Amino acid sequence: MEHSTVVESAQHLTHHVTTQGAALGIIALLPLVGSFLAFVIGKKNRDSAGWIATLAAALSFGCVLNYFFALPEGGAFEHRVFEWFSAGNISVDFLFRFDQLTAVMCLVVTGIGSLIHLYSIGYMAEDESRHRFFCYLNLFLFSMLLLVLGGNLLVLFVGWEGVGLCSYLLIGFWFKNLSFAAAGKKAFIVNRIGDAGFLLAIFLILLNFGTIDFVELGQRIGGASTELYTLIALCLFVGATGKSAQIPLFVWLPDAMAGPTPVSALIHAATMVTAGVYLLARMHYLFVLAPLAMVVVCTVALLTSLVAALIALVQNDIKKVLAYSTVSQLGFMFLAAGAGAYWVAVFHLVTHAFFKACLFLGSGSVIHACHHEQDMREMGGLGKIMPWTAATYWISTLAIAGIAPFAGYYSKHHIITALQTSGESNSLMLAYGECFATVATVVAVLTAFYMTRSACMTFLGSYRGHSHPHESPKTMVLPLVVLAFLAFVGGYLLEHQLSLAGYLHSVLPVHAHGESEGFLASLLHSWPGFLGVGLALLLYTKLTVVPAKLYGLVPPVSKLLADKFYFDEIYDFLIVKPLYLFSFGLWKGADQAVIDGSVNGTAAVVDMTGEVVRVTETGQLRHYGLFMFAAGVFITIFYLIL
Amino acid sequence: METIVFYLLAASIVFTGVAVVAMRNPIHSALALVCNLIGVAAIFASLQAHFLATVQVIVYAGAIMVLVIFVIMLLNIKEEKPARERFLLLGGVVLAGFAFFVALSFVFLHQFQVTPELTDEITGSVANIGRVLFTKYVFPFEAASLLIMAAIVGSIMIAKTKRREVS
Amino acid sequence: MVSVNHYLILSLLMFSIGVTGFVIRKNAIVVFMCVELMLNAVNIAFVAFARMHGNLDGEIAVFMVMVVAAAEAAVGLAIIIALFRNAKSVDTDDAAELRL
Repeated sequence: MEHSTVVESAQHLTHHVTTQGAALGIIALLPLVGSFLAFVIGKKNRDSAGWIATLAAALSFGCVLNYFFALPEGGAFEHRVFEWFSAGNISVDFLFRFDQLTAVMCLVVTGIGSLIHLYSIGYMAEDESRHRFFCYLNLFLFSMLLLVLGGNLLVLFVGWEGVGLCSYLLIGFWFKNLSFAAAGKKAFIVNRIGDAGFLLAIFLILLNFGTIDFVELGQRIGGASTELYTLIALCLFVGATGKSAQIPLFVWLPDAMAGPTPVSALIHAATMVTAGVYLLARMHYLFVLAPLAMVVVCTVALLTSLVAALIALVQNDIKKVLAYSTVSQLGFMFLAAGAGAYWVAVFHLVTHAFFKACLFLGSGSVIHACHHEQDMREMGGLGKIMPWTAATYWISTLAIAGIAPFAGYYSKHHIITALQTSGESNSLMLAYGECFATVATVVAVLTAFYMTRSACMTFLGSYRGHSHPHESPKTMVLPLVVLAFLAFVGGYLLEHQLSLAGYLHSVLPVHAHGESEGFLASLLHSWPGFLGVGLALLLYTKLTVVPAKLYGLVPPVSKLLADKFYFDEIYDFLIVKPLYLFSFGLWKGADQAVIDGSVNGTAAVVDMTGEVVRVTETGQLRHYGLFMFAAGVFITIFYLIL
Repeated sequence: METIVFYLLAASIVFTGVAVVAMRNPIHSALALVCNLIGVAAIFASLQAHFLATVQVIVYAGAIMVLVIFVIMLLNIKEEKPARERFLLLGGVVLAGFAFFVALSFVFLHQFQVTPELTDEITGSVANIGRVLFTKYVFPFEAASLLIMAAIVGSIMIAKTKRREVS
Repeated sequence: MVSVNHYLILSLLMFSIGVTGFVIRKNAIVVFMCVELMLNAVNIAFVAFARMHGNLDGEIAVFMVMVVAAAEAAVGLAIIIALFRNAKSVDTDDAAELRL
């Protein structure tokens, strides 16, 4: 596309009929108040905390619905809370804006958030400090809403940091387990690296365009060099890789599974980790001006999804499988964004939120039932004991596998189509589009395979564990059913009935997508899903000896997969160890020798001087008086000589 | 006449001052100080500072000295032990005091080359003092009352017997 | 004729007597009285200067000194009482706990 047309379309896409004065802040404020109340009241009465937090989340969802229905087509609501600061000709407001993209994100965040709050009541029922849990959970909701409602990059950044903090607090929720606390720290520190990139991007934008307001930025875009756009876009993407767990910063997400399972579902699958995708969609007008950056996004995303899918093949911890699957699916979203199909990225974000939340909650239900056993080798046959969990888990598995009427199919199909046609809008992609699409299809097969594997190992066969599993309480089953229902029909509804593409076309570039296909065609197009599911069913129900043999076939490869491509070890060797050595040197050399040395030396000098001067301090009033008057005489004589 | 009165007063002031320092018994010292302060009041009067002369007698010679004597009697302080002191130090101290005196008088005599005369333009009568005190110096005056208030509270707090010590 | 210098020299003499007493006496109450001597010496100088300049500022200063002296007497004597209660003596040489 020509540069000028891109700029024009960016200006067009950010030109809304804005309605001022809507009290958007209330959406975010409700969870904040809920967080406070959940802690204060929950401290007295532990059981009330969950209900307070759930109520706050649900009320917030209600507010979002209200604004969603009031939102005129192609319009947006704005809420300028106060002028944050102004310096020179730059003025930054604490601004909320509610447009179509925000509406979709808010609905996902508060909707799924409410369900997971409800679920958590049951899941956390026996935890001593659950008031703290619900306080954090609501605080997370507040930060996430700040992130998606923010009308400029800085408010978004506040939310961005807020969700990072809540993620840290919740991963390390059971902080008495040191490895859990370490996982929290790891997530926080890895995110900081990404945040540095994001901050740089904000500074660059502010420096070059003089505004960080999304709408104003869209109007002022254009005129700068492609190199600048590429630099800004890459900095933004670095931020996104941190938050959304892409290579090279994805290592924190699998460790983040240390947190309670509802947290994994809400933060590390459905909402927070998609913030990076949201950021890219928000800043799409910058990315379309930087074709090179989009190729980088695509490449990194493809690599991430492939690597994560391969690792997921051999994981035995049910939550680890889901974690790597999340990384892989986030890769898919970035693939869509990199291919220029931002609305598809958002589409996959929404459907992924449905089925992945459901999968995580299902795994939580299983873990709850098996008394905190997470190893799938210790499960099996749970389908008969907990039918609701099993049914919802299977539905979501089919959804993530991308089998036709289920939600995942539609978004995945769009992603692969978008990759195939990405050359139309980005000449750099022309040569790679088909190649990317092929690898993405392979990843889709792998996804279907490992998810079915996990479902088979958990629910089919006979029970291999030692405890006495049981079906979960109603508060846990209800969200599962709702989410499974959404995972079942959500994709179809958004594709055909509600038309997400049409809804988003006023804020995101929507290229003409193929005319809707028939049911049979879509079944045909979901062959990767069928292939993966079928293969897994065959291997894990009938030919159960084959997987072990395959695993032992090429030991180095299986070892590589089981050890997660040695990412942690490589980082440890390349970054952590040198940094540690450097810090150690600073500690011994700079701190202890120079700084401590000078401080202690000063103290020693003072000490010695004190020992000498001490003689004059007799403690007797008369001597002090004598010294004082002698000094007076001395000064007088001095004065006299002068 | 004025000169004779001044020298008489000065002699009595110096004499009683030395007595304050020299007397072994604190009660004797205190009585010498009362005489000294009355002498100072007379000096004030000779300088036409009538108000200050009155206040000097009432506050210093009256209130403060009564307080001092009261404390001496309350504490039942005996005579000071004869100093088994290093006489060298004592001599040094007296010498230092003398040097101080000589040096300061030297300074003053040289600073005021023109021997200043006393003027009678305005006298320190009660009316004049009052006028200045309640116009130009009204704020320091009020601050002084605050200071005294603080001193009263402070002295009560310091001298008060702690409740635990009573039993 | 009595000039300002007469008064100043009287003031200095009195001050020096006070200094000497402050240094050589050990009884806290006598030390306190020596401080009063010094204050009064300064007061004489103040009044003499006020007469010399023909305004009342010096006399107001004397008034303030008296206020401070009254406050000092109240607090100082209270401290002496407290000291006596703790040390059973008002000897300044006994109150040397500040030195280790």
